[in-house]
Amino acid sequence: MLLFAIGVGLCLLSALVTLCFVSRNNPQVRKAALWLTIAAGLIFIFQSVRIALTDQSLNYTFTQIAPQLQFTFLIDRLAAFFILIVSIVTVTVAIYSLRYVEVSTSGTRRNLFIPLMNIFILSMLFFVASANSFAQLLCWELMSLSSFILVMYHYEKEETRKTGIFYFIMTQMSTIFLMLGFILMYNATGSFAIAASPFLTAGTNTLIFIFLFCGFGIKAGIIPFHKWLPYAHSSSPSNISALMSGVMIKVAIYGMVRYVIFVLDPQLWWGILILIAGTISALLGVIYALKEHDIKRLLAYHSIENIGIILIGLGLYIIFDSYGLSDLAFLSLAASLFHTLNHAIFKSLLFLTAGSVVEETGTRDIEKMGGLVKTMPFTAALFLIGALSISALPPFNGFVSELMIFQAFFSAFSIPNPYVVILLIICLSLFALTSALAAACFVKAFGIIFLAMPRSEKAQHAHEVPRAMLIGPGILAFLCIGLGVFSFQIFGWLGFKPPMPNLLWVFLTLIIFLIPTLIVMRKTTGGKIRRSGTWSCGLPAPDSQTEYTASGFSEPILTFFKPIYKTDKILIRNFWDKYDSTFKNGQAEIKVMKIFEERIYMPIANCVRYLSQKVSGAQNVDLDTFILYSFITVIILVLAVGWIL
Amino acid sequence: MTTSLLEYFFINTFFVLLVSPLFMGLIKKVKAHMQGRRGPPLLQMYYQLLKLFKKETVVSLNSSFVTLIAPYINIIFMLAASLCVPLVFIPTANFGFGNVILFLYLMVMAKIFMAFGGLDAGSSFGGMGSSREMTISAIFEPVVIIVVSALAFVLKTFNIHEMFAATLVGPSLTNAALVLTGVALFIILITETSRVPVDNPETHLELTMVHEAMILESSGPNLALMELSHAIKNTLLMAMLINILIPWGLAVTLTPISWLIGMLAFLFKGIVLAVIMGVFESVTAKSRLFGLRTFFILAFSLAFVTIMFELLV
Repeated sequence: MLLFAIGVGLCLLSALVTLCFVSRNNPQVRKAALWLTIAAGLIFIFQSVRIALTDQSLNYTFTQIAPQLQFTFLIDRLAAFFILIVSIVTVTVAIYSLRYVEVSTSGTRRNLFIPLMNIFILSMLFFVASANSFAQLLCWELMSLSSFILVMYHYEKEETRKTGIFYFIMTQMSTIFLMLGFILMYNATGSFAIAASPFLTAGTNTLIFIFLFCGFGIKAGIIPFHKWLPYAHSSSPSNISALMSGVMIKVAIYGMVRYVIFVLDPQLWWGILILIAGTISALLGVIYALKEHDIKRLLAYHSIENIGIILIGLGLYIIFDSYGLSDLAFLSLAASLFHTLNHAIFKSLLFLTAGSVVEETGTRDIEKMGGLVKTMPFTAALFLIGALSISALPPFNGFVSELMIFQAFFSAFSIPNPYVVILLIICLSLFALTSALAAACFVKAFGIIFLAMPRSEKAQHAHEVPRAMLIGPGILAFLCIGLGVFSFQIFGWLGFKPPMPNLLWVFLTLIIFLIPTLIVMRKTTGGKIRRSGTWSCGLPAPDSQTEYTASGFSEPILTFFKPIYKTDKILIRNFWDKYDSTFKNGQAEIKVMKIFEERIYMPIANCVRYLSQKVSGAQNVDLDTFILYSFITVIILVLAVGWIL
Repeated sequence: MTTSLLEYFFINTFFVLLVSPLFMGLIKKVKAHMQGRRGPPLLQMYYQLLKLFKKETVVSLNSSFVTLIAPYINIIFMLAASLCVPLVFIPTANFGFGNVILFLYLMVMAKIFMAFGGLDAGSSFGGMGSSREMTISAIFEPVVIIVVSALAFVLKTFNIHEMFAATLVGPSLTNAALVLTGVALFIILITETSRVPVDNPETHLELTMVHEAMILESSGPNLALMELSHAIKNTLLMAMLINILIPWGLAVTLTPISWLIGMLAFLFKGIVLAVIMGVFESVTAKSRLFGLRTFFILAFSLAFVTIMFELLV
């Protein structure tokens, strides 16, 4: 526990140091503060790995505020695992920020960045570590607020302000749902402790689940609560996007796993609900990602997809568990948790490298990039590793968790209920579609951003980012490979034996095959390569105008999924004469409908606005009416109390 | 590693390298005969590969290291995938090779690097090919997975080695479920190897080509590796179909005689299947890209019916 306290202390110190020098623009102070954060992160990694390996939980009561209210911390294996996720991303993001904070913005505003980031990280850590729903709610709120301020970092932009408010409303909604769930639980059990309680009736059990599912679901970005995610991720600074996407939405997953498995009594239909929600999130997430040309929004939609995959694992766990198939249930849960870790790693990697690209090109639009592999080769290689991991390709880590989910699905036939089997098969095929579409999307992303020729002046003159901005993502890339290749061994150390291939062998085999291939190629070409212009059907010199574009790349897929996008073609034509024979001018526009915004969010918002106008109409009246209101309230209260007692 | 594994490693790899170009040549020959031409010699692809290995490598000025590593990635991942599918004999232990998802995703890795290679040169042909290939593979993926899950369900394992072992002892051609899946596997074979009606391997016309467009910029030994890995993929998928439906001759013992029988049996079955593929390709018309849905849905329903069939019986 002492080490944890030291870690927390270092984080607070880092925040304090920068706050002391907040009005001075001193890069050394910022650097020192970030190093403190890195040290704290390393301590957390060390401690959580130790707890995860030895399976000894830590228990600590902080202070007793009131008889029923205390801050208790319990770090068991699950909590340690999520602390590990938080701290790995923290360390790498902090290393990346060493330079990113200096190059991305200017002025003393940067000084606020580091304390906020530390508070954000600490609030997530405490949320995971606390064994008490009251403390958890406080941390949740702190996490929401600090991330809200970080999203508003570039507040001078109109777009950011709009995003910030939207994000804030969504986080508050999530808090309300959580609060409802926690209050219900307190009512039923009489304590805030997070522990399994036998007193819950079936009705309360279900009601708590629904509230918590909505609360955590909003934060995790499950469709249809997902809309804040692409906005918030695209307008916040890239290191914050990495933290939000890599870690914050995982904290919501932690909440869901913790309450569903350890506190409540899961029912079969919860599993089915989570499975369906996960499948829909995964599929729609990737389908929306395909049409997105804003690099950070594209990655944000992929976060929705991956949260969906994690939920698929969780849903399968509950389904298998309710049929008493404990091996399969365990496999699904392990897959789900492993994917949580993997997603944290490769998504942070992608956001950080995307941040470097955005920094160098000055745009988030991938249509204006291209050819960066020649100017930023290391960033390109790192992004490539992230892209291959997220596309679930062997031997990278994303492959392992998806493989485990596939295997869990393949075992669906052990379930006696044929309807559930059919549901699982449908979800399986949609999951397969998701996984393949993700690969297509990342071929597009990597291909258009880094390959071929630059499509804009700025992309042409980009250069490689400073070393710190490579080392941070570099560590993550290394983990992507390591966690994939040694996955079998890692599960072995933890004492599990999931039925999956030993990827170390696969990796060694690949190397064994590589050696003779290299020798043969060396012998034949002698390593000589001639460079010549791309053949372009006799056109003089192909330039970036003739290249394939991102829109062109995803066009066939968009056509296949036209009904989902609800593409709207607007065609206005004006003619000189009344017979419509001589064309004057015209306008054509292809609009992709924002279904969720137009059909769900806006109607609710309009409804709320309408109601609040009504209420405010009743509020702006004279004193007599107010006295009447009070009088009526008192009478109703008296009657109600009399009736209840 | 046991000796059985080492032997498997060498025999399977060499055999697949040896026969793959033959089947490609044979399909071409059959198609030529169907069109009333004489066609290239049966061993044409071997000559072609030898020639390409002697040629110099020319790459585009726009291309990067991705173009240079793509052929290596293609061949090594395809060879690794080849260990998942026993052609001649089934080793006693398979150290995780043979997992059907691993097999599929090793091939996807090769495909993705081919698509990167297509985009790398900056020509619109390559981009078009990559875009279409990724689209087709995305739309087709649910079909592949459902077929594989039907196989896993019917044969009660998701390891290809064990699947073959199961069909070797059990009834295969008399099992209606397996025959239905076999048809679906044939559709997978046609699609994944870029043949009519999905793609046209003969053409270099931009409107119709998919696979060829991606490797348009490759040359010399790089092209040879690309073509070889494509041929290996063809053989592997053929072997999937053959050894699920008619696994006879697949050796389980470790005697040279049984290997020889296994090789000859596979060669014979492969030749028959290659002829069928050639005939099928000759009598089918290239489909529109957006018309492929129907073709895929056919395979999907076949696999789905298999699952229903097994679920209810």
